This record gives sequence, structure tokens and C-alpha cells, in this order.
Amino acid sequence: MSGAGHRGGGVTDFSTYLGPEDTLAGRPAEGGIVGRSGLASGTGKVDGPPKVTGAAVYTADLRLPRMAHAKLLRSPHAHARILAIDAAEALAMPGVLAVLTGADLPGRHGPIPVARDETALAVDKVRYRGEPVACVAAVDEATAREALARVRVDYEPLPAVFTLDEALDPGSPAIHEHLARKAARTGRSPNVLRRVHQSFGDPDAGFAEADLVMEESYFYPGSTHVPLEPHAALAAPEPGGRLRVWTSTQNPHSVHRTIAAVLGLDPAAVRLTKPEVGGGYGGKCDTFVTELCASALALRLGRPVRLALEREEVFYAHRGRHPTRMRVKMGLKADGRITALELEALANGGAYASYGVVTAYYLGVFGTLPYRLDHYRFTATRVYTNLPPCGPKRGHGAIQPRFAIELHLDRMAHALGLDPAEVRLRNAVEPNTVTVNGLRVTSVGLRECVERVVEASGYRDKRGRLGPGRGVGLAASAYMSGALHPTYANEGPHSMVQVKVDRSGRVTILSGTADIGQGSNHMLATVVAERLGIEPADCTVVEADTDLTPVDLGSYSSRVTFMAGNAALQAAERVRKRLVSAVSAELGCDPADLVLRGRRVFVRDEPDRGVDWRRAIALAEAEAGALGAMGSYRPPRIGNRFRRQSVGPSPAYSFTAQVAEVSVDLETGEVRVEHVWCAHDLGRVLHPEIAAGQIEGCVYMGVGEALLEEQAYRDGLLRAPSLLEYRVPTVHETPAIHPILVESHDPEGPFGAKEVGEGPQLGTVPAIAAAIHDATGAWLTAPPYTPDKVLAALRRRGVR
Amino acid sequence: MLPLPRFAWQAPDTLHGLLDAAARPGARILAGGTDLLPSMKHRLHRPSLLVSARRLPELAAIYEDGDDLCIGAFATLRAVRRHPVVRAELPALADACATVATPTIQAMGTLGGNLCLDTRCAFYNQPEGWRQALGGCLKADGDVCHVARKGAGCYAAHSADTVPVLWLLGARARIAGRRGTREVPVSELYDGADGRRWLRLEPGEVLTHVLVPRRGAPVVHHKVRLRASIDYAALLVAVRREGSGARAVISAVGPAPVEVRAARAEELPDLAHARVKPLGTHVVSTAWRRHMVRVAVRRALDACPVP
Amino acid sequence: MSDPTRPGGSPPEPPRSRGPGRGPASEVVASFLVNGEAVRALVPATRTLLEFLRDELGLTGTKHGCDLGDCGACTVLVDGVPRLACLTLVAELEGAAVTTVEGLAADGRLSPIQDALDRHGAAQCGYCTPGIAVNLTALLAEEPHPDDAAIREVLGSNICRCTGYTRILDAAREVAGGGQ
Ligand SMILES: Cc1cc2nc3c(=O)[nH]c(=O)nc-3n(C[C@H](O)[C@H](O)[C@H](O)COP(=O)(O)OP(=O)(O)OC[C@H]3O[C@@H](n4cnc5c(N)ncnc54)[C@H](O)[C@@H]3O)c2cc1C
Ligand code: SF4
Ligand code: FES
Ligand code: FES
Repeated sequence: MSGAGHRGGGVTDFSTYLGPEDTLAGRPAEGGIVGRSGLASGTGKVDGPPKVTGAAVYTADLRLPRMAHAKLLRSPHAHARILAIDAAEALAMPGVLAVLTGADLPGRHGPIPVARDETALAVDKVRYRGEPVACVAAVDEATAREALARVRVDYEPLPAVFTLDEALDPGSPAIHEHLARKAARTGRSPNVLRRVHQSFGDPDAGFAEADLVMEESYFYPGSTHVPLEPHAALAAPEPGGRLRVWTSTQNPHSVHRTIAAVLGLDPAAVRLTKPEVGGGYGGKCDTFVTELCASALALRLGRPVRLALEREEVFYAHRGRHPTRMRVKMGLKADGRITALELEALANGGAYASYGVVTAYYLGVFGTLPYRLDHYRFTATRVYTNLPPCGPKRGHGAIQPRFAIELHLDRMAHALGLDPAEVRLRNAVEPNTVTVNGLRVTSVGLRECVERVVEASGYRDKRGRLGPGRGVGLAASAYMSGALHPTYANEGPHSMVQVKVDRSGRVTILSGTADIGQGSNHMLATVVAERLGIEPADCTVVEADTDLTPVDLGSYSSRVTFMAGNAALQAAERVRKRLVSAVSAELGCDPADLVLRGRRVFVRDEPDRGVDWRRAIALAEAEAGALGAMGSYRPPRIGNRFRRQSVGPSPAYSFTAQVAEVSVDLETGEVRVEHVWCAHDLGRVLHPEIAAGQIEGCVYMGVGEALLEEQAYRDGLLRAPSLLEYRVPTVHETPAIHPILVESHDPEGPFGAKEVGEGPQLGTVPAIAAAIHDATGAWLTAPPYTPDKVLAALRRRGVR
Repeated sequence: MLPLPRFAWQAPDTLHGLLDAAARPGARILAGGTDLLPSMKHRLHRPSLLVSARRLPELAAIYEDGDDLCIGAFATLRAVRRHPVVRAELPALADACATVATPTIQAMGTLGGNLCLDTRCAFYNQPEGWRQALGGCLKADGDVCHVARKGAGCYAAHSADTVPVLWLLGARARIAGRRGTREVPVSELYDGADGRRWLRLEPGEVLTHVLVPRRGAPVVHHKVRLRASIDYAALLVAVRREGSGARAVISAVGPAPVEVRAARAEELPDLAHARVKPLGTHVVSTAWRRHMVRVAVRRALDACPVP
Repeated sequence: MSDPTRPGGSPPEPPRSRGPGRGPASEVVASFLVNGEAVRALVPATRTLLEFLRDELGLTGTKHGCDLGDCGACTVLVDGVPRLACLTLVAELEGAAVTTVEGLAADGRLSPIQDALDRHGAAQCGYCTPGIAVNLTALLAEEPHPDDAAIREVLGSNICRCTGYTRILDAAREVAGGGQ
């Protein structure tokens, strides 16, 4: 068997992932996390076997006695008043059990407390084509579906708003009435959810200092997540008036709270469980109609109800990338140093806020990384339109401006005759600094990322030398490892983990985290096993069940490894202390001399003097009772440097550099991405296969956004509501992806780890855009680079 | 999941029985089902009876018949593609089968089903609720065409990958009905006047065999699509050189493939470009598809050996 | 060949008979094997294999991704050949041998391709994995040492949204290479 990590150009040389500074008690002298977390011993992730055998259970796989099935009736109008809903005929059908409408679940909800504007089903008005209006429960899916046609809804169509310009027009019809009143007072458009303007340093002075100032416009299209598993929820009443809910979500805690709030229940009366989730990428962060209607129907009918979306409906659930129009102005010295940056971003958010307030901040705040900037200002505006709501998609809010800024920087480097890689290195942010907008930066591996990716790809030899129709491009980026501030105000920890040890030696880790395929369960097992000197396979991870697991805020903002990993580490450390105390008493040695490794606890310099794992547990139980501990993580109180800095700061940032190599058919406009080399500073590698897999997934998703994907509409109606027409890359469009793992050993991350699930996507599209320029001489400022658009651009430039 | 509309199913074990069943009102032939079943889930068709040929393996057989290769209409695309005679003598047919959908779908879908593939349109092959939001269209449930609002007809595009190749190979379709059997050239099987009535089969008629002449000048198949798998054609082209001239059959542009002939082969790309005007039946830009007519014909011609 | 039934209208009631298939039947009987076990299905003619496996046999390893033939998540083997369960009628299965992902591991041991997918970390969310494991199993049964082009061609039948296919290709290549 070839070493799984030793693919050509891929993950190589695991030994370098170990820094001497984190040699832990119990770490094998020659190996480390990498060796013990699976690779060397030839075992996969803790969730591998169930997934390859089909045993893994996803929400729609669950079946309960007397389970009823629900289906949704959706609006054919983009914007309309609901005059009346008559469900009598549907209710009269044999097998139909209940019909819910907006009036049954009027409670407004939304993931961000300042913008709760959504209801489970439309109330009084529909705001996009495809919005759920009624929900029918029946004895089987076919009956429920048939009954939808018998629910009569009278609509009064209203003028609709689809584009950014329409939404910004003060005369545009208000999509949300409460904003109409405010707009009438201010004379502004009633469809602006949030406008954020921040300025740091003295941008005008910065531009004055520059040798070259350039200003250009860019557009980044909307796209959607396309998890292969459609959203699904199952709810069942429990004895004693409680409600159980199983749902395909990445934010169990938030969904738990929202269900209780909308249904008017005590959260303690709701038990929410997340089974396996078949992909999220940000698309399963919100609370959806599935969860709310299944819950309400289960309580009303006194029997289990399942609501599983069809593929088409997943496109309406959306919460994908905001289509964003941007203007970038940048000043550069002749040597490539950035003197000032100005960014304006306008994001089309669709009909509801979702996380849109956060999006508005993220669009601007991350402009100051990964390059040192002394002068920066931005304006970011997120508007409402009559389209399915946008929300967080992998690289939330940062993807669009990073695309524009990286491509812009490349253009300017080109204009100044500078090596784009050199320009990145020259501006790279330094470790242990604070950005001009107050982001505290600790570990930074950007330089190494740029250097390694340039070397692995042969960027310097290839750029400008591959001949017409072939080219390379480079981009760099940074992303957050969790948000300093929670989505709702509370003083509690962001993550809590419980570790309990059984006399058999089995260790159970309980955590509210949501593994959605990114490998967080294996991460928890790795962290705990590492600290206790056992194997991940010795651990059972119980996740995301509100009756069993302590709170974790959810799988968003790339926070889980950093936050839940730290919580797990703290819990494991507490257990370790107990073990060490008991064993040292037994052996009569200094606790500080004890090592936990290989399922044993022994004296460092006398490996034969020790006890095995079970004996150690028995001793600890005898000494002080039940063996287990809780750990928690709360981000450091770094302190805001200015008002309204609450959205964006993170305890740590990951860094990435990537190079894409493309070929462009100059006659047809067809682009092929041949290779992407992606070097990512994730702080510390906890499991190389998982880490590399995240990089590969990020690059893949970036390639889709670069070449094919766009969530586009015609008069508010989705153009491509299927996997046939919304084209995600198949294996044939996917390039050879070469991940390179770079370690910067973050001082606060668990074992030095940061994030790897989102950051690697930020640079993929601009790297491809730069490569297309290298291949054709054309700067293409609006992905996706479908052949028709590429050809049109080449013609404009006179290439053809 | 998307429940299928109600229907009865029948799998006769004689050709006679098959033809009887196919002649019942509301009956439809079920071959691989890869076109029919998704359409039924979208409520584009609601047949009351599906007639299966699974008990008639002879209709799936492939055998040499003199100068022809006789392919049972119910042979899967995978079986056609892998047949030694097809590989050796009719590589363009193998190529065309290989660009259909995906290898898994090729193992289900049949050659006959491909010849009878419904015409396609970005406004038609969509979920029921989506179409209702538009009020339907001429081809299903409505009275306007969203592609050409003023037109009275339907322009849904013929999108069957194997047809341009079979057309140029001079293949014939053997069609059986209760009144007997007839043979028509594949080139005469289609009617370009309207996307609702593109297939010249009478109600109750069943395509039983496709007869492909084994000799003749080589044909080249060229499919334009955005993904190399799971993608219908944005444009389909087959070409064949004949003496100093050449012919092209171009599809995915209207209800039937279009044949273009050039007395001098090098004129074929421009002639094709002048003749063929794709309409907005596909999500890919019409202007680009039009541009690609010339490019694809020229590239196919370049790949086509001079006889 | 236009649809003889009125578009939008309700379809004529199908005949209500039930039978072995020689006459029209709205309910059908079919006997076949699923993972080696004999199954006798009495189902409406409209029942797809995907619904039958998941809802009636409780074999939920076969996944629903689109129900329209676009994603490959529902891939199973019928007589050793990959098929999409969402586009297969139970009625058509008389006498067939169906293999699902649950039937790949023998005696509780992962099959070679399952083992390789596991070790390479090829399953992230895992939702595409059953279909891919089944599809690659058929390829490897037919051609134990497929080249890269053959592996890629077969994988073109399945969408994976998580992995960029990289680790899936690695796993398949390893098994195809004979595990050297
Ligand atoms: C995701 C996806 C992608 C696809 N991509 C392509 C593609 O790229 N190119 C392409 O060409 N096709 C494509 N198809 C369509 C389809 O798979 C093929 O065209 C296939 O060859 C159809 O054959 P079938 O046996 O499945 O037809 P069926 O679905 O069984 O039948 C199709 C139609 O023909 C009728 N019919 C079938 N056989 C006969 C007969 N012998 N006599 C009379 N009428 C008959 C049926 O009643 C039905 O109306 C795709 C399908 C899917 C699901
Ligand atoms: S061409 Fe017009 S009538 Fe025909 S399917 Fe398309 S929209 Fe409908
Ligand atoms: S569920 Fe069958 S192909 Fe997608
Ligand atoms: S692993 Fe998630 S779709 Fe493939």
C-alpha cells in the first residue's frame, strides 16, 4: 500500500508537522499526533466504517411507528399578498391529517437577534418564488403531495425587486413593511438590511503616497451549497409533553433554541438530535421550515412527522453565496507595498436576513488580512430582494472581496511589472500584530504558504511562459478560526465538552458539536486520545444531542477545531491530572515524571515502571471517585478597539496561498483547470488525511464557482432548480489538487491548530482568474468563467 | 421523494402482446426509463399503462445481418457501445453512446429510447411547481412558448446523442405496429416543425430494431457540453466526408436534427453556421451555441478522415 | 408522439387488476434477490427500487439525492451492473439479483474498495459514498486493474460535493493497482 499521504505533489513529509515545543507527556519520541491519529497505523476516521458500509444513519433514514409525512406548498409569485388560503378540500382527502399555514406559526425567527424577519411559512405576504406557504401532513408522501394541489391560495401580486439597483432605489416597493416606515422617514431605500461603513488610518493620504492607484469594478455571482443530502427533519412527541427532533443541521444549538421560541415551548421540553449530515458547507446553519413544521405537526397530531425536502426545494432553501458587486481602489508603491485600500461591496441578499448582518461586516472586515495595511476603508451594504435568501456559504462574506482584491492586486503587480508572488510576500502580515482595524493576529504561516506553493507549482518558471492558452495564477488569503463573539448575547462558553472514562478503558466524549463530514468527531477523539495516551479508536464520540451533550455553538465560522478542540483538551487534561495523581501515589513517584502513552501511564525515564490504562483508571476511581471531567472554551477577551467591532474578530486566523494552472481554448472559450496547488497554514495538523481532504473540498468548491456554478434567476424564478442544470463539477471538471499543509503552531489553538475547512477556498477563484489572464491576456472580473462569457471577453480584447 | 403518477404495468412475452398493449389508450413503452420516469415524476407525462419489453430479450439482441448490424431497440447503450462490431466498424456510434449522461445511465438507457427521446427545453424539463409558476408552456399545461413568445409552435430541442451519427451512417428504424412492420431511415423519423410532434411514430407503434449499415465512410461524433458527464448537449454535431464534399447533422438546436451538405468539405462549417440558429431552449447562451456550430463542425471535420 | 392523456388533467384510472405482468396490473408481484436474500414484493406498479429498499426493506444505505437520475447517490447493482434505484421500477426486477451497499461487506469485513475508501478518508459527509462504493465495486469486478481513465469514467456517474474526488480516486487507484 502506498502511504496515503505520499501522493505525488500532495501531502508529504509528516515528520515536519511536529514541533519540539509541543512535545507532550505521552508523545512517542519518534511519532506524534500524525502517527497515532490513524495514518501510520492504517486506520481511517472514526466515522469511516459506518459511512463506507451504508450503516451511517442520516435524518431521512429514520423511521418511527405511525410516522406521517409532510410536504410543502410553495409560492409561484415573487412578491404577493396572501389574500386567503382555503385548505378544506385538501383536508377532506382520505389520508390527509393536517394543513399548516403561516397563521399557525407566526413567530418571527432568524439566526441573528437584530434581524429576525422570517416565519416558518409565509404570513400575509410571500417574498420569493418558492417560499413555503402551507404544509400538508398525510399518511404517506404521495398523498401529501397530491393534497398540495387542493390547497387554494389567493394571491394579489405585488411589484417585485430583483436586482441590486432596484433594491437601492428609494422608490422600490418595500419587501419588509417595518422597513418601509423607517424609509419613509429617511428618504432611503426600504430594502437595505444593513450598511456598514468603517475607515481606518488615513486612506486619502495612503493613496497620495502611492506610485500607482487603480480602481476597478468586480462582480462575484451567487452560488449555492448543494449538499448531496437534502434537508430533512423528523419530529415526534414524547411522553410528558416533550418533543424530540432529529434534523440535518450544522447548528443544533441555534435550531434547538429557535424551535422552542417559535413553538412557544420551554427549550427544556425539546430534545434535538443531529444524525449524520450529508453535507452542509454553511447551507444548514439556519433553522428551516423542515424543523419548524415537522415539530408543529408532530405536536398537533400526536405522532411522528417527517418533512424531507426534494432536490428542487434545496435550491429554494438556499442561504448561499451573496451575489456581490464590488469596487476596489488600491494604492501601490513601485516596490509593490500596498499604501491604501478602499472597498465598496453591494450584496444582494434575497428576501430574508438570515446571517446577512454578519455578511455585511464580513464583506469589509477581512479586507485587512492577509496583507499589512495602514489605511483602509470600506462600505458594505446588504439589501433585500424578492429572491430566495442568501446566507453563509463556505468562506462566508470573505470570498467575494478576496476575489476582487486578489485579482486587483495581480493586475496592479502586472501593471508595475512586479512578480505577484513577491508582492504577496512583501505585504504579508507579520505574526503577533494587530491590524489597522483591530484584528489581533497571532500565528501567521503566510510566507511559508507562498514560498511552498510557488515552489511546488513551478509558478515562477511557468508564469508568462506556458504559451498562448495556458497560464498560472496565484492568490493568497486569510480566514477566521471562529468568531470572538457568539451569534446571540450570552456570557457562557462557546463550547463545552465532557469526557467520561469507563472502567473498561473506553472513553466517551460528549459534545454539542455537529460533524457534517468535516471530521469534527475524529478531531475530538484525536485531541482527547492524544492527551490521555490512548488511540482515537478507544473513544466514542456522542455529539449533538441536547439531552446528552453540553452546548457548542455550531459548525460555522470555522470555529469547531479551535473552540471545541480546546474544550476537549481542557476536559482531557483534567482527567489526565486525576490519573497522574492516582498513579503517582501508587508508584510513589513525582506526578511530573509520569507519561501517558500507548495505553499506559509510566515514569518517563523508566518505562517499565508504570501501570496499564485500566489499572490507572481503577486507581483514579479509588482515589477520588467517578472519573470524568468537563472542559470549556471561551475566546479571550481581547477587547474591542472601537465601537461596532463585534463582528469579524477571531481568536486566530488561518492563511493560504494557492496556484492554479489552466488551459483556455481560445476559439471556444472553454477553460480547464488542470492543477491547483494549495498551501494552507492550519496551525497544526491533527489528522493529515482530514486536513488535506478539507483543502481538496475547498478547492473543488472554488473550481465550481470559478467555472460553472451560478444561482441565477429569470424574473425571480430559479433558472436551474436541478442537479442537471445547476452544474457542480463532476470528476472530469475537477483538477488535480495538491494540498500542502503548513504549520504555524498557534499559541492558543488546541495543540496549535487553527482551521482548514473554509480558508482554502478563498483564493481558488482569483488564482484561476489570474491564470486565465496569464493564458489569454484578459482580466475576467465576473465568474463563473463559462465558455460563452470567456469567449465574449476574449473577443472584446481582440484575442479572437 | 417524487412519487410517480399512477399507472399500470405490463410486460408481455410476445411481440404480438407487446403491440397489443402498446396500442391501448394511454399506453407508453417503458424501455430503460431514464427519460420517461424523470418526466413522469415532473408530471410531463401521465401514461395510464407502461409496457415493458423485459420479457422479450430478442428485442435487446445485437447481431450481424448481412451488410447491416441489427441492434434491438431495447439493447442498452452500454451493450451497443461495447459490442465488438460497433467498436471495430462503427466507432462513431460507440462514441455517441459514450457521451450520453453517465456510464450508469448508459447501462439502463436503450438505443430505442434514445431515438424516441422527448425533445427538451429549459422551460419544460422542470419540476411541476416550477412550471406552474410560469403558467406552463405550449408543450405542457400552458398556452405560451417562453422561448419565442410570439410563435405558435414549440421549439423544444432534439437532444439524443446517437441520432446525428445514426442519421449519417444511413441507419434505418424498424417499426412495428398492429398493422405490420415498416422501415424508415433515421433521417426521416423526425419532424422539425414542432417540438410537440417531433417523432413520426403512430400511436401504438413500437421501434423494434435499428439497422446500421456496416460499410461506408467514417462518421465523427462531436458533442458540446459544459460538463463531461451528466450533461445533455448544448450542441450535437456529426459529420461525414463524401468525396470532396461533406455532410453534417446538427442537433440540440430545434425539434429535429438539421442536415447540412457542402459540395466542398471546407465550406461546411460556414454553411452550417449560416443554416443553424439555436434558440433559447438551453440554459447555455444562444450566441455561444451559435458560434460553436461553426467551430464544432470544423473540428469534427478535421477529425474525420478523408475517404 | 404526444402524450395521449390531457396535460394537467387527471389520468384515466389504471386497470385495478393485479397479476404476474402478462396483463396490465396496477399492483405487481416480483420475486428477486436482495443481497442474496429472496424477496417477494407485492407493490404498486409505481414503486421505485429506491423507495422499496429504503421504506420496505429498511436498507437505507442507498441514498436519495435527487430522485431524477442526476446524482448517482442511489446506485445499486442489478445482476452485477450499476443502476440508479430512483429510476428502476420494482416491477422490472423479477428474477434479478440486487446488491446494495449493505451487501458489499462479507462476513462483517469491509470489501477491498470499502476498506480503501475508509483508509484514504474518502468519505467526508459520506452521503455519496454508498453509491460510489457500489459503482467502483462493479468496475473492479469486471476489470480488476482498471486504468485511470476507466476509473474516472465510472466516477463520472456520481456527484460528490465534499471531497473533490481526490481521495476517492486514490482509493480506487490503490485497489486497482493490486494494493502494492
Ligand atoms: C441525468 C440524465 C442525463 C441524460 N443525459 C443524456 C444525454 O446526454 N444525451 C442523451 O441522448 N440522453 C440523455 N439522457 C436521456 C436518456 O438517458 C437517454 O436518452 C436514453 O437513451 C433513453 O433511453 P431509455 O431506454 O431510458 O428511454 P425511456 O425513458 O424508457 O423512453 C424514452 C421515450 O421513448 C419511448 N420509447 C422507448 N423505447 C421505445 C420503443 N422501442 N418504441 C417506441 N417508443 C419507445 C418511451 O415511451 C419514452 O417516451 C439523460 C438522462 C438522465 C436521467
Ligand atoms: S420551446 Fe416553448 S413551448 Fe416548447 S417546451 Fe420550450 S417553452 Fe415550452
Ligand atoms: S437519487 Fe437517483 S440519481 Fe440521484
Ligand atoms: S463525501 Fe459528502 S458528498 Fe461525497
